[in-house]
Amino acid sequence: MASLTLKDIKKVYPNSEEKKSKKKKKGDEPEKQKANLQITEEGVVAVQQFSLDIADKEFIVLVGPSGCGKSTTLRMIAGLEEISSGELYIGDRLVNDVAPKDRDIAMVFQSYALYPHMTVYDNMAFSLKLKKTPKAEIDKKVREAAEILDITQYLDRKPKALSGGQRQRVAIGRAIVREPKVLLMDEPLSNLDAKLRNQMRAEIIKLRQKINTTFIYVTHDQTEAMTLGDRIVIMRDGFIQQIGTPQEVFNHPINLFVAGFIGTPQMNFFENCALTVDGGKYSVEVLGKKIALTDGQNKALAAKGQKACSVTLGIRPVHMQLDEGGFTGKIDVSEMMGSELHLHMNVQGNDVVAVIPTAGLDVSAHSIGKSVNFSFNPALAHLFGADGKNLL
Amino acid sequence: MQFWPLMKNTFLLCIIGFVIGFPLPIIISLMLNAMKSKKMSKVLQTIFNGPHFISLVVLVGMLTLFFGRYGLVNNIAAHFGGERVSYFLESSAFRPLYILSSNWQDFGWSAIIYIAALSNVDLGQHEAAILDGASRFQRVIHVDLPAIMPMISVMLIMSIGGLMGVGYEKALLMQTDGNLGVSELIATYVYKQGLTGVPNQSYATAIGLFNSVINVVLLIIANTTSKKFSENSLW
Repeated sequence: MASLTLKDIKKVYPNSEEKKSKKKKKGDEPEKQKANLQITEEGVVAVQQFSLDIADKEFIVLVGPSGCGKSTTLRMIAGLEEISSGELYIGDRLVNDVAPKDRDIAMVFQSYALYPHMTVYDNMAFSLKLKKTPKAEIDKKVREAAEILDITQYLDRKPKALSGGQRQRVAIGRAIVREPKVLLMDEPLSNLDAKLRNQMRAEIIKLRQKINTTFIYVTHDQTEAMTLGDRIVIMRDGFIQQIGTPQEVFNHPINLFVAGFIGTPQMNFFENCALTVDGGKYSVEVLGKKIALTDGQNKALAAKGQKACSVTLGIRPVHMQLDEGGFTGKIDVSEMMGSELHLHMNVQGNDVVAVIPTAGLDVSAHSIGKSVNFSFNPALAHLFGADGKNLL
Repeated sequence: MQFWPLMKNTFLLCIIGFVIGFPLPIIISLMLNAMKSKKMSKVLQTIFNGPHFISLVVLVGMLTLFFGRYGLVNNIAAHFGGERVSYFLESSAFRPLYILSSNWQDFGWSAIIYIAALSNVDLGQHEAAILDGASRFQRVIHVDLPAIMPMISVMLIMSIGGLMGVGYEKALLMQTDGNLGVSELIATYVYKQGLTGVPNQSYATAIGLFNSVINVVLLIIANTTSKKFSENSLW
């Protein structure tokens, strides 16, 4: 068990000499943006300004879209990638230049990375054997870990004789026998089917209660992030966007990206809404209707000295309800999910999704092509300024 | 020539060549794969492949230039007061020259298949081994070698199956009256019987067929053994 401190961590993949000389000849601009990568004279910047304090035994989830730098960050913590600049502390020890095996960490890989020629027992015992741990102790630790993960009956099997879920348990077992201070997990459930993924997610939650260690978990699946993490770190293009508890990032997204990334279905955005202020009372015009903001929202905007401007209004699909007096939309797609109905509507050219509970609802009345009226509670709306930041 | 000396010459040349030549490309491929500088690894691989494209006639010509009575090796020996030796007339020099030159010519080429197999090794396994505390050598033993073991098994079966199938060209080119006692192989004997002097083709065909039967038997034994002790076999 240990706390972790990441101070202004940066990762740059340097340009090759050939590329550098080409660049000089062409006289390229020093910095440019290619897709979601920042390319400087130094090279491709994968992670920057990454500062985070992780408490002992905390479960931190790094989440973000592909190429956002979450796996690179995890690999820097593991020591598999060199840190270009910044400081990484595990406990009180600066470990920037410490070899991976001496960092007292263990990692679970997306591909399981089990040794195919070894049995499950040997896979789990391998690191302990390399450390020259006495045989009796190895046996005890392996069997204890196998017991925790319910894989004792597979100890004599080779990985190819196991299912995906069982292999992942072995990979976790191999990591926990080392009793690491920090357990790193790089998209460990991505190779599993949806049902198994849900099962394993629950297993990881249980595992956390059984072993006392700090977890850092990388995923692009926000459901995993929300269900597993004590805190979530949302990343984009190498930068941290927001750090917070699942509730915080869901209820108070710091910007448009976080608002759109967290939550399924994605938050609905209405662009170019006029925010007006009259006598200290704010209101916002959405799809031709003027909506008065709540007292709390008024206070928050007034505290910032917010002036009238054009804003983007965001509202989550789960915060919308059917309402005869509200907006009118035409149903493009109707998805019956069992306990709820996902209505994809076209409202004055805007794509809007609403999640409606099916209890007491006439589902047949909400089929494709039909019109539906809906509204939302302004108290649950989010307002984003021109720079994409949440104004509330 | 008698049957048993022919058999012995062929068998010894093949067995020694196999014992030295089979592991060499595996070791080279593992070493090239473990090199930190991928650029250097590629350069070395290209250099090692070069000799494969030298024709046998040129190769034996090179051997003559190096090991002939007035070749490089003898000139160096003479310079330091040593006696000149006609390596091509010495029976004891035939097998080392034949085997080492063959291995020099083919080790790089044979390594290609293992290098290709190594390129498919899951990088995650290496990283897991690094985190487990494995050294570079331990990673070769515990990650790389097991990963190419199926390929090694297949190559081993095929090599054993072709063990007695040594060609006649190089042995003929290196053959002299001095080394005839060890350089006369089944293949060179078949050639001489079937195509030179008064041809005795039916006799030559029978010997050739006998050689092929031995190869087939060896192939079956190797495949069955591999199937029993590992999980890899040709059929």
